[in-house]
Amino acid sequence: MKFKVLIALIALASLVLASQACNRAAYSADDPSKIRVGIVFDIGGKDDRSFNAAAWNGVKCAETGMLPDGKTSCGKPPLNVIVRDVEPGNPVSIEPAMRAFAERGYDLVIGVGFAQGPIMQAVAKDYPNIHFAIIDGVIFEDDGKTPKSNVASLVFKEHEGSYLVGMIAGMTSKTNTIGFIGGMDIGLIHRFEGGYEQGAKAANPKIQVIQNYVGVTDAAWNNPGKGKEIALAQIGKGADVIFTAAGNSGLGAFDAVEQAGKDSSGRATHFVIGVDSNQNMVKPGFVLTSMVKRVDNAVYDIVKDVVNHKFQGGFHVFGLDTEGVGYVVDNYNQALVSPQTIQAAEDAKKKIVGGQIKVVDRMTQ
Amino acid sequence: MIKKCPVCERTYSDESISFCLADGALLSAPEKTDAAPTAVLPSSLRPTEQSKQPALTPTMTSLTPPEPVLPVGADKPPRLPRTNPLVNLGREILFPLIAVIAAFIVGGVVILIIGDSPIQTYKLLIGSAFSWPDGIGYTLFNATPLIFTGLAVAVAFRCGLLNIGAEGQLYVAAFAAAWVGFKFGAQDPGNNVITPFFHLPAIVLVPLCCIAAIAAGAIWGGIPGLLKAKFGSHEVINTIMLNFIAVALLSYFTQYHYKVPGDPIMQTTPISPSADLTHLGKFIPGLPARIPLNLAFLLAILACVLVYVFLWKTKWGYEMRATGANPSAAEYGGVSIRKQIILAMAISGGLAGMVGINEVLGYRHRYYDGFSANYGFVGIAVALLGRNHPVGVFLAAILFAILLRGGIFVDAFTMHVSKDIVDMLQGIVIVFVAAEAMFRGPLKQFGLFKKAKI
Repeated sequence: MKFKVLIALIALASLVLASQACNRAAYSADDPSKIRVGIVFDIGGKDDRSFNAAAWNGVKCAETGMLPDGKTSCGKPPLNVIVRDVEPGNPVSIEPAMRAFAERGYDLVIGVGFAQGPIMQAVAKDYPNIHFAIIDGVIFEDDGKTPKSNVASLVFKEHEGSYLVGMIAGMTSKTNTIGFIGGMDIGLIHRFEGGYEQGAKAANPKIQVIQNYVGVTDAAWNNPGKGKEIALAQIGKGADVIFTAAGNSGLGAFDAVEQAGKDSSGRATHFVIGVDSNQNMVKPGFVLTSMVKRVDNAVYDIVKDVVNHKFQGGFHVFGLDTEGVGYVVDNYNQALVSPQTIQAAEDAKKKIVGGQIKVVDRMTQ
Repeated sequence: MIKKCPVCERTYSDESISFCLADGALLSAPEKTDAAPTAVLPSSLRPTEQSKQPALTPTMTSLTPPEPVLPVGADKPPRLPRTNPLVNLGREILFPLIAVIAAFIVGGVVILIIGDSPIQTYKLLIGSAFSWPDGIGYTLFNATPLIFTGLAVAVAFRCGLLNIGAEGQLYVAAFAAAWVGFKFGAQDPGNNVITPFFHLPAIVLVPLCCIAAIAAGAIWGGIPGLLKAKFGSHEVINTIMLNFIAVALLSYFTQYHYKVPGDPIMQTTPISPSADLTHLGKFIPGLPARIPLNLAFLLAILACVLVYVFLWKTKWGYEMRATGANPSAAEYGGVSIRKQIILAMAISGGLAGMVGINEVLGYRHRYYDGFSANYGFVGIAVALLGRNHPVGVFLAAILFAILLRGGIFVDAFTMHVSKDIVDMLQGIVIVFVAAEAMFRGPLKQFGLFKKAKI
């Protein structure tokens, strides 16, 4: 009987060896004549329907001209590049992944998320001839002032987008109380909070904003249970619109507003505002709008720069003027937001772009 | 000091025993005697009758060089079959090797089902780990913590203990090393988070940090040892629980006391530049200094040698192994198993703690919350595959380090296979090692295995 086990193993071995005969095209050596792009995702992974997903859309669009589903066009031409990706899954795999691309001489290595900043700082120093790009992070030379020449720091004016959704929240709220749920308590998220509050106060001076953060560690991005708890507590204090900037934890707030239910006319009593990607379709009818960061556009553009040999290090700032941030009105939420509100938001947008409204950036203050 | 049982007249040399092991009676006060510190055999087992009923040797403490426990009273000790050490080594390596090959075959089938080529994938996996200089440099760097944790688990296992807590021990140790590193050495100008107590030079600071790491690991490992020795609570439960305590406690200290204000990443302020451990790239031509392979790797090799010498060439190591092989027999032979349990757990914790030297002094130069890629748990697999022997642990650590490095390349440069393939390979290796008996049967028929080894 035990011989049978051995024989089975030998059979398996021969199967594997035989497979060489019908070698499929699944593994392909990279064509060195093409521009090669490597992308290292954040802990959340590329299917988080938010921040990482947007970056994945951007590189897939650059590779194929399609969205990651392979059917829908992304509306931009493919750039004839090779794209490879790694989902590290834990913080310790980020550096080896980034170095793997650099060792192989990739033309562009993209890091998704501020947490990769210190790692990219070290890797970019070791490989000065390779282009790097980091989303939401800024990389300096060792002096801490000059932006590193081979790293493009892709940053967004989240406060401007947050200002607009703050206005929408302020004009929609019936209780004059709105909520904000941040993920990790850090400067980047304070930027969302500051813009949101300023926008809400501009639209409705009586408004009161309740702010809470999920936590102080990485885990704060991935705790929907606590996100829901906080949202329910805010609803208990009278908040009827809640803006989340908390990654996966924010999805808990979506559950909370759904639980709060609808009134007799079929309109939801409480709303949530999505973040980063368009989340209007996550809970249709309950999502007032989404504050989008066009990470996909930023990523596509940086790949295009490398292809056209126009890569420039330093800060690439994406604000309302370049459509880098914004809010979404689509089929899922156009019944929820009144035309006057949209008009007011559009006016404010023009004023921000024109410089008549200055939105406070709480991260740099 | 000899204690005596008033009921059955057994005597005990171990001071920590206060009740008779045979009938539970309270032992009488120590009496002064010139007799050798031995457990005197009861009359039924006296040497005159030992030919009928052999007992264990009563004078274990005087045994140097160590020998296996032998029946006393037989005219001559039964002769053990002497074999060529090379053949022995071959036998020891054969099972793990079969397990690894089998795992790769099963993994290959899975890769085939996923839709990639197993040969290409394995080429990528192995090739990326052996390229010079990055591949070899990073593979050895990855192996360093696994050698430490593998040794940690192996030492505890030799004493019959399962140390699941290497993960917590290495976190505590890394934090201790970092704390000494930034509290006892001069900081870079501009860093005003920490005011160091002293400005020690590198020659003092580096050893001090290493000692701090080892001591912290030993204490954190010693706690479950002490609990087991004193109260009999199981070390598996206690070490697992202490892992959680360590992680939560250190997150707290990092977040609220030693982080640079405003830093979104959970890490402490950097250690003093004088506490940095030299990268091996400085000594090896062709190895770039950016590769974090550092002196801790040499320390890991030294630890392998020391563990071997300790376990097989010293009295204490012999007592520890005796405790692991049969605690009752060891105690009967005069070994204090409580002392052994505490000692083994402390040594185990100290070895696990040395991971902190590699991580903090040699690589990150600060404590980084959650830096361990499950080193403590992979260490269990390393010890299991390495058959709890320092040489085996070293080889197994190298193998797992290859997987760790190659996994990223497989993830990045194949179409479908993700780096989880590595976890799967590790898992299958363990299953096959654990299912050793499955192979032992058929191989016995080739005359390879005449006797089972302890």
